[in-house]
Amino acid sequence: MIGLAAGLLVLPEKENYVQITPEDLMWDAVQPTKYFTVDQVAAMIIDGDPTLELIDVRCVKDYDAFSLKNAINIPLDSLLSPNYEGYLGIEDMNVVFYANDNIKADQAWIIGRRMGYQNLYIMQGGLNSWIECIINPQEPGEDNPLTVFEQYQFRKGASIYFTGSQLEASDKKASVKVVRRKKGAAVAGGC
Amino acid sequence: MHVHELNPRRTVITMVIFVVVIIVGLHTLTSPRLKYKISPTDAIIMVSAANQGVDASKIDNMLSASNNPTILIDIRNNYDYARSHIASATNISAVVLLSKDNIKWLNELKDRNTTVVIYGDTPLQTNGPWMVFQQLGFDNVTFLKGGYNYYLEFKDAEKKHVTIPAFEAGKANYNYAEIAKPRSIGADNESKPKKKHTVVRRKKKGAATAGGC
Repeated sequence: MIGLAAGLLVLPEKENYVQITPEDLMWDAVQPTKYFTVDQVAAMIIDGDPTLELIDVRCVKDYDAFSLKNAINIPLDSLLSPNYEGYLGIEDMNVVFYANDNIKADQAWIIGRRMGYQNLYIMQGGLNSWIECIINPQEPGEDNPLTVFEQYQFRKGASIYFTGSQLEASDKKASVKVVRRKKGAAVAGGC
Repeated sequence: MHVHELNPRRTVITMVIFVVVIIVGLHTLTSPRLKYKISPTDAIIMVSAANQGVDASKIDNMLSASNNPTILIDIRNNYDYARSHIASATNISAVVLLSKDNIKWLNELKDRNTTVVIYGDTPLQTNGPWMVFQQLGFDNVTFLKGGYNYYLEFKDAEKKHVTIPAFEAGKANYNYAEIAKPRSIGADNESKPKKKHTVVRRKKKGAATAGGC
């Protein structure tokens, strides 16, 4: 028994999270399934999808200047700080990282995935793409397929939603102008 | 009465063998083929460091150096590689980068202090594999800034004797707060179709009938 107890001492120290193997990490890192397009993210925000958890990995200053609706700010360098531990690995939540472009979000993704967290995603193209596609969508050329136009329609609507433009019809009723002939006016026509 | 009770030494020997087998078993269970050499926290510090990667303008000199030339690995798939690639690049797709043979080769390169540069089409494609290598302790592995797409752009500009700015990742292309700020209603009204004014003409009661004698 003492021998067994001594054996436990030589066992490697166990981390409190289960890391995935480098082989799995490399495999997952090159899969296209780890992305959400900006359209998907916009649709989820508009629908109020309760499983969406947006994480802004830029620095605090950038986050304060502009961030997506309901996004949480976890700068990349404090991703593993105990303060933010509870935000990753919540069951059934889709964590979507975003930054100015893809790289910082991808770095956060790699670290998070290595630590075994599930359902991590990257908003493809980051905020640069968000501005280009959602806030200022460009009208597609005439030779594009119907799906492109449908996407453009969605983006136009999303742009209005996110920039807070008020499109509600004004309360004023359409004025009806009635033109009346003057009393005693000569009868039109006749001999 | 059992036999071993007559021979206490045998009991001890059995016990020791039992413990040794368990310890060896547990150790082989928890030792995978590849191990992370740095902790996740260190990995974040590592990727946040400035000046990562190799500029497209420097790569040609590094490849043609006479002393310990740099090895260039194209991590895209075979099809993309076959279409076009940087001369002298070796093609190893990202999914097979960690195979037994490749790891052996990379270890040899590391021992020789040879710099290994990997590239994909875009910085995003390169980032994941590069970070995995760094975390595995291959600190001689670096990446081509901007990826193959930027490299082509750079080469094209070089031919025309113009300079394009060095690739910069993570840059905000817009002032987000300015562009995405709530828009004024006035600006929005322009795009709205104006309400039509309907003009209705009514004849007055008792008015003379139009026309006729």
